[in-house]
Amino acid sequence: MADIKTTTAAAGKKQRLNNTAILFIILIVLFCVFSYVGRPFFFSRLNLIPMLNNLSFIGIIAAVLTMVMVSGEIDFSIGGNVGLTACLTALLLSKGLPGWLVVIIALAAGAVMGSFNGMLVTIVGVNSIIATIGTMFIWRGIGYTLTNGESILAMNPVIDYIGRGFIFKVIPFPIVLLVVVFVITYVVMSHSKWGRKIYAIGANPLASFLSGINVKKVKFVSFLICGMTASLGGLILTSLSAVGMPQHGQGLELVIVSSIILGGTALGGGRGNILGTLAGILILSVLYNFLTIMNIYYFYIQMVQGAVLILVVSTYEIRQARARRRI
Amino acid sequence: MAKTTKSYSAFMNFLRTPTPTLIGIFIAVMLLFSLTSENFLTIQNIKGIFNNFAVFGILAAGVTVVMIGGGFDLAIGSTAGLAGIVSAVLLMKGIELPTPLVIFIAIIIGSTVGLINGLIITKVGINPIITTLGTLAFFRGICYFWADLNPRIYNIFIQNLGRIYIGGVFPITTLYIIVAFVILTLILKFSRFGRDLFTIGGNEPLARLAGIPVDRIKIISYVISGFFASIAGLLLISQLGSGRPEYGTGAELEVLTIVVLGGVAVGGGKGNYLGVFIALAIIQTISNGMVLIDVPVYLRMVVKGALLVLVIAIDALRNRKQLQLY
Repeated sequence: MADIKTTTAAAGKKQRLNNTAILFIILIVLFCVFSYVGRPFFFSRLNLIPMLNNLSFIGIIAAVLTMVMVSGEIDFSIGGNVGLTACLTALLLSKGLPGWLVVIIALAAGAVMGSFNGMLVTIVGVNSIIATIGTMFIWRGIGYTLTNGESILAMNPVIDYIGRGFIFKVIPFPIVLLVVVFVITYVVMSHSKWGRKIYAIGANPLASFLSGINVKKVKFVSFLICGMTASLGGLILTSLSAVGMPQHGQGLELVIVSSIILGGTALGGGRGNILGTLAGILILSVLYNFLTIMNIYYFYIQMVQGAVLILVVSTYEIRQARARRRI
Repeated sequence: MAKTTKSYSAFMNFLRTPTPTLIGIFIAVMLLFSLTSENFLTIQNIKGIFNNFAVFGILAAGVTVVMIGGGFDLAIGSTAGLAGIVSAVLLMKGIELPTPLVIFIAIIIGSTVGLINGLIITKVGINPIITTLGTLAFFRGICYFWADLNPRIYNIFIQNLGRIYIGGVFPITTLYIIVAFVILTLILKFSRFGRDLFTIGGNEPLARLAGIPVDRIKIISYVISGFFASIAGLLLISQLGSGRPEYGTGAELEVLTIVVLGGVAVGGGKGNYLGVFIALAIIQTISNGMVLIDVPVYLRMVVKGALLVLVIAIDALRNRKQLQLY
């Protein structure tokens, strides 16, 4: 009996490793092919550094959104959150506030937005997909209202450093942030009590509730953290572009959600890992960067993004259905 | 005894639906705007409000069917845009296909998009919101294939499609909506398809066990939604006089608000067209009133998003209360 258990556990672990490993192999193959097809631009410092910078803010948001999605909920308002944060940051800077204070206010605004989503989902009991589609429009609308639809210059030493600074004059600061966020979320999800609770809630909310987990609290806090992280992403984007405008982060949710699902997180919750999300983010960033390098019109890239989302989700659904049939 | 209680309970049932509340809200909104703006209660403006019903009303007709079956369709805006721009291109000088053929092609496009949505949702088994978010982006991208052509509409029939006023007062588009709503109400109430759809929306596993062809009926509901989206696309190019790839962007948000405000349950199984019609009037009146009392453009976006959140929050609270009762 014990023997069977250990072998199935080992098999499960082996398979999960394989899935993520397959993703990384795909990534390397894609990278090599794109470097060849897109030569000499794709594999050059001028392309790779901005790609990594862009990837950093998408990855930071994706890592925390993975947490929300494993708990069985979703947050589509991240794009709107990024837009509003960018506007708020630029507006406050233009009013002459010091950089560190603006960063704190922006993160606090993110926490407010996240907790509003969390309240809608946990206290009112709205389906999180629709609730956050609604709040997405609210955040972006507030961004438009604040700036009157214009873009505002955001120049400040602190803000500049967030997106364009270097640590030891070599490592870009956003990459450091990305690594830090991924390490923290990895440890939390795989090696902490909090992470276990999130997996339990995603797999079976009723059972988790009956076994004494405060389901609503866990969900609320993950939404709150997700809002704060989206604001951090907004700060990085503002810094990278040196302007705050309400269009920042438009369509971000498509890219982020598809890369999380590509990374192996189940849409219904209960399954997923941070390394997979990292692989998913890398693959899609490389893909979309390549399309841009090949001079493909933005709207066709949007089309590809939609198709990729459906393809990725379909693949996982079909695989899951097959696995169920095997049992 | 049984007969009297029946008519009594029918009235009580009507009171228990959200429709009376909606009528109250509608009157309140009308009062609010007629007090704040002197241009609100003019024949010209009311005519405008009714004519602006057209696109959202037709879209809501299809979305209601999908949502009663427990589904979701966010791709309607893109479907309408695609059907619109393709027909506009086909009507351009140099191509000029005959009008009936163009309309037929538009309808085929819309229904095909609906069929694709339905097939992905039922046969592959993906969450309908995720699926239609994906197809939304995909079909919007296709619209941009013709972005540079910028076709204008010179075809008289298409121009009149969304612009005629019967007797100079009553917009023909409102007639379309009423006809569509009445026919769909009859279908939902009295046909086997309609009853099956309500069963599926109420309890899908049960419907499956009862032998209802769940997948087929769901696919049909998405095709109906796509069909109405293509009609809305034709009305769009008719009223705006040209075909642009961005037509219909963001329509899904407004239509979702209308349909949920109209009392269609988000999980499915509940809803009627009378409620949707009044909700349509409410939302259109608010949109129109915000223009008249000069709410800043970008603030309107916030108001619309907030309305959606408010409406779905009320929906969630209402349905939770019923769960607690039972």
